Amino acid sequence: MGYVWDFQTVWDYRQVFVRGAVITAELTFWSTIIGTVLGLMLGLMRRSTNAALRYPAAVYIEAFRATPILVQLVWIYYSMPILIGLQMGNIASCAVGLGLHAAAYIAEIFRAGVNSIDKGQWDAARAIGMRYPEMMRRIILPQAVRRMIPPFINEFATLIKLTTLGSVLAVNELLHEATNLINNTYRPLEIYTAVAIAFAIMIYPFIYASQRLEQHWRVRS
Amino acid sequence: MTYPILKIANLQKHFGNHQVLKGIDLEVNRGEVLVIIGPSGSGKSTLLRCLNFLEEYDHGQVLFDGQLVGYRIAPDGRLLRDSARRVASIRERMGMVFQSFNLFPHMTVLENVIEGPVVVKKIKRADAERDARRLLERVGLGNKIDEYPSKLSGGQQQRAGIARALAMKPDVMLFDEPTSALDPELVGEVLEVMKALAADGMTMIVVTHEMGFARDVADRVVVMDDGTIIETAPPARIFSNPSQARTVEFLKRVLH
Repeated sequence: MGYVWDFQTVWDYRQVFVRGAVITAELTFWSTIIGTVLGLMLGLMRRSTNAALRYPAAVYIEAFRATPILVQLVWIYYSMPILIGLQMGNIASCAVGLGLHAAAYIAEIFRAGVNSIDKGQWDAARAIGMRYPEMMRRIILPQAVRRMIPPFINEFATLIKLTTLGSVLAVNELLHEATNLINNTYRPLEIYTAVAIAFAIMIYPFIYASQRLEQHWRVRS
Repeated sequence: MTYPILKIANLQKHFGNHQVLKGIDLEVNRGEVLVIIGPSGSGKSTLLRCLNFLEEYDHGQVLFDGQLVGYRIAPDGRLLRDSARRVASIRERMGMVFQSFNLFPHMTVLENVIEGPVVVKKIKRADAERDARRLLERVGLGNKIDEYPSKLSGGQQQRAGIARALAMKPDVMLFDEPTSALDPELVGEVLEVMKALAADGMTMIVVTHEMGFARDVADRVVVMDDGTIIETAPPARIFSNPSQARTVEFLKRVLH
């Protein structure tokens, strides 16, 4: 049985892929921003000695880690207008949902990175009279960030792939566009192959850059 | 002028149910070199760490230059945690040298030394660098200024650690077993720097197992055991004619 591959169809509809990839990139961009900013805040709160900051952060993080993201996305989409009267578009809602989800994981990456710094570094910073903000900024974070980069890139790559869940909110990201295309062309194998390659092209540069950065830091210290 | 720069009264500290400091009374005068010796687990390092409040004590007082360290006294006499700013400003004036050096690994030796002066004291970078170069010259690291700590031997790292503490121009230097993590052949170079510092009149409190240093450099030796001070005396007396049986026993063990 010789299957006849036909990538000509994919090429003919390349505009569709580009259009989908742009939406995917937009979703990734905004959800990364939301996830990183909120994640840093949650990570700091989680480490706080103040229980009024620590517990809400812990509840948030565990709730988002313990429930399916598909449920989170749909839930946020339908509940936002009811809870806070905010009606967002499909794309915005999806970006916010992904961002809120990523924040839980980024908070944990942040916490693990900060906790991995030797206690002696805190002692030394305090002993020269540093206070918490300068100690974080000058001594702890510069070291912790190096350890956070690999898991962060990992989370980022996961996030790019999670944008494909946008299809449940009828967001025309890459996979959703591709599925529509399959319904018109009956070329699932070629189109899924193209989707896989498109994702790999988007994700791999970040993995490569992360590896180079790690290497650079290893050489220097 | 011999009024004490540090005055410690009935200092107590618990870790959970275990009491590690059982009421320490001690005064340290300006320019004095005080060496604290005693068996492991006797509370020497904890005592030292309470002095600049890296460790919170739970009873008694540490007065540094007349100021209560780490707490302020409420009108009803209870101790309240002092503000982070005041605690930090007291720490600025007490240099500390650690057993494991604790240099900042992402900074060069020079950057380590100027970090405190520039970031905490807000001294101009050029001035801080000039002071730092002079200090590093003094501890014999003039040719290692731009190296990262990981490229240095233990002895060199510890001398850089001493320079980093001195850069803050502290009133007191605290040494927490500064040579315990060093290979034997590197101990001497660190002790030499400390001796020179003592000769310059620096007030020093040194927790150490180096009995030779205690004998040669200390003005007074404090012997601790089980969370208490069992004996305080000039080194000549401690090493030739100690008054406590536990001191005799301890010295017999460490001096073979």
